[in-house]
Amino acid sequence: MYINACSTISHQNSFKNENWINELTLLNDESELITPNYKEFITPTALRRMSKIIKMSLACGKDCIEQSGIENPDAIIVGTGLGCLADTEKFLDNSLTIKGLIPPTSFIQSTHNTIAGQISLALKNHNYNVTHTQNSLSFEHALIDSILCLNEEDSNILVGSADEAIPLLGEIIDNLGFEKISKHMTSGASFFMLSNNKTNTSKAKLIDSYTVGLNNSDPKKVINEFLEQNNTSLNNIDLVLSNSFGSINISEIEELFNSTKVTPVEQYTGYHLTNAAFSMHLATETLNQDSTIKRILIYNTLNNSNIGFTLLQSLEA
Amino acid sequence: MSIYITGVGVISAIGLNVKENYQSLKDQKTGIKPLRFFPSEKEILAGEVKLSNEDLITQQNVTSPISRTSLLGLVAAKEAWNGNEHNTNIRTGLISATSVGGMDNTEKYYEQRLNKEKEDISLITTHDSGNTTERIASELGISGYINTISTACSSGANAIMLGARLMLQNKLDRVLVGGSDSFTNFTEKGFRSLMIYSDEWVKPFDNDRNGLNLGEGGGFILLENKKSLDITNNTPLACLAGWSNTADAYHQTASSPDGKGATLAVSKALKVANLKPADISYINAHGTGTPNNDLSESTALINVFGKDVPPFSSTKAYTGHTLAASGAIEAVYAVLALQNNVIYPNLNYSTPIADTQLVPETSWNDTNEVKTVLSNSFGFGGNNSTVIFKKVEDVH
Amino acid sequence: MEKLKRELKEQIIELLNLEDIKVSDIGDDTALFGESLGLDSIDALELIVLMENGYGIELANPEEGKDIFATINSMADYISKNKK
Repeated sequence: MYINACSTISHQNSFKNENWINELTLLNDESELITPNYKEFITPTALRRMSKIIKMSLACGKDCIEQSGIENPDAIIVGTGLGCLADTEKFLDNSLTIKGLIPPTSFIQSTHNTIAGQISLALKNHNYNVTHTQNSLSFEHALIDSILCLNEEDSNILVGSADEAIPLLGEIIDNLGFEKISKHMTSGASFFMLSNNKTNTSKAKLIDSYTVGLNNSDPKKVINEFLEQNNTSLNNIDLVLSNSFGSINISEIEELFNSTKVTPVEQYTGYHLTNAAFSMHLATETLNQDSTIKRILIYNTLNNSNIGFTLLQSLEA
Repeated sequence: MSIYITGVGVISAIGLNVKENYQSLKDQKTGIKPLRFFPSEKEILAGEVKLSNEDLITQQNVTSPISRTSLLGLVAAKEAWNGNEHNTNIRTGLISATSVGGMDNTEKYYEQRLNKEKEDISLITTHDSGNTTERIASELGISGYINTISTACSSGANAIMLGARLMLQNKLDRVLVGGSDSFTNFTEKGFRSLMIYSDEWVKPFDNDRNGLNLGEGGGFILLENKKSLDITNNTPLACLAGWSNTADAYHQTASSPDGKGATLAVSKALKVANLKPADISYINAHGTGTPNNDLSESTALINVFGKDVPPFSSTKAYTGHTLAASGAIEAVYAVLALQNNVIYPNLNYSTPIADTQLVPETSWNDTNEVKTVLSNSFGFGGNNSTVIFKKVEDVH
Repeated sequence: MEKLKRELKEQIIELLNLEDIKVSDIGDDTALFGESLGLDSIDALELIVLMENGYGIELANPEEGKDIFATINSMADYISKNKK
């Protein structure tokens, strides 16, 4: 499977900038989401109602369409950890405070599948359209579904994920005792065009994605099993991109991977439940640009009891 | 490869288990009544599960906080799981569907916040839909592939479809698939804001239908492949034959007047099942009772089946619209229809829709063999799903 | 009546987030739905809320909205006749 387009809106200068992986900056308290001019991607009539999560997703989705030249993908698959939080909070607030008739727009846009639905509307696409929401593994589940599609009769899949931060979320994370994390609760979206066909826009190969929910085994064992299933081993992995929650010490993760280099991704993207999608874009562009790196493993333990794996390989390897 | 259904579980307004649901269907007894357990200012007609959260927590022996959505899902999932054992040779997964997740608890938290009361922060930890599913998985001892689908009112059907596809591609041997949704103030006010919540009993496919009644509940079915069956020795109740999901790409909430997405979903599912339209014995329609859905769905049925639309009915007048759970609850009803050779009556119907003149089944019809059941589920965002069930031919 | 019409235009622009539209862009007889302003059925529901919460006029059936919300003139006309 080939990754023929990728597009990310994040706190890095990642949108429409292939060189972004060489310009990474560590997140600080002043970092902000870097957004494009959405009017270039979304019609004014559609744009006026959209919350951040929809705007980010639609812009990234359309960017992937443009990059790959695939105007009508065979499926649109989205992962989101918490869905359309801004509209959900707005309608929740209205439903508890307004007596009588309540404006419907935020209710309509509160459902998780608003993202994939709006993309299908914008593309006039009638194909498979599904939304996965399994907290920290939502993106991996969307990827696994895409792999199923590509093994069926589909050729091109638009897959991605998005999550949005709202002030209330930061407050809740704070109250749950994660003060350091709450400052870096971020929004972000990443979309990809996956294809069975290698084209002149192909950047890397997706080998596999796999999840273990409510893991009860030794992580080392689970890692080796995943690599074995894909006929490889840690010796062949040049870089591990890890997604974890603040309380985890990076040396604990490094210890799992022997001498393979581990880069924690949350220092660049901040915390949202689908930040493994940011890792996949980072991995794809790294494999595309750095010929010394052949294989990258994305190791997602943002939620300690759940593990997500995604394995990518360079086009040459 | 065949996909066998070896367990079913359901909890809804018309019963707390499969047996009670079947009896109510037969007795033509609706579960839609004024709400009892949910605090509301005025009388609201809805398909409420007749058990309080406290009773459910005691009965399921689980710890608080847990969302009502998890509790309802757990009841149905346990019944479908039916005491099966774990076995390292059977790769087992769980896929649940929900649209509101833990919104019932979130509402309590948010209200405390609005009223400047001391907030119970633990209530918010059940908000995310993934947590709803993990609670069910953890009670059943399932780890590994655990996933949640959220495509509004078609979610349950999509969870079933995903389970089947994972099995066909040899990723899993056994998977518990279904969904649950609790009644919430959020969804009730939401459908009212769209002006499609009826204060009368819902009348699916009737010319004078004027909206839906919400319901709540959970439904699960256990899917197994041959390898799993050889180990568990379970008896297949029915087979999953076909499935499809399409996008209407017409409007954020409304279905297209030409029923494009729905027509595609039904046609593609027939193709996957390798069946002709004439092979369908019964259609369990989405039939929410909103002017828009029932007209669009009727048009889609005519598009696919022409003059020979098979016997069809909506069971929403029994259960109310249970959102993400509806496709899963109706999957259980489909299996029961195949087992008992019965077509369920469409309650509260009197006059055909003027434009389509389609007449649903209105009585308990057990005169003909039911070989195949086609079940529709359509959701917001133009999300259309069809699942087809058939009798077990022979186990191979 | 002119005051009501202006008020309605301002309310519609704000309520429906018509960012690039000015009061002067909406003529009294401009069709609110379809090509020119691009309003749709979700906006119609928002306008029903405006009628109820802003002017105390309840519309039980969204179908009624089609004629009432055709133009600023028709809206103003309906409001002045039915306002409580």
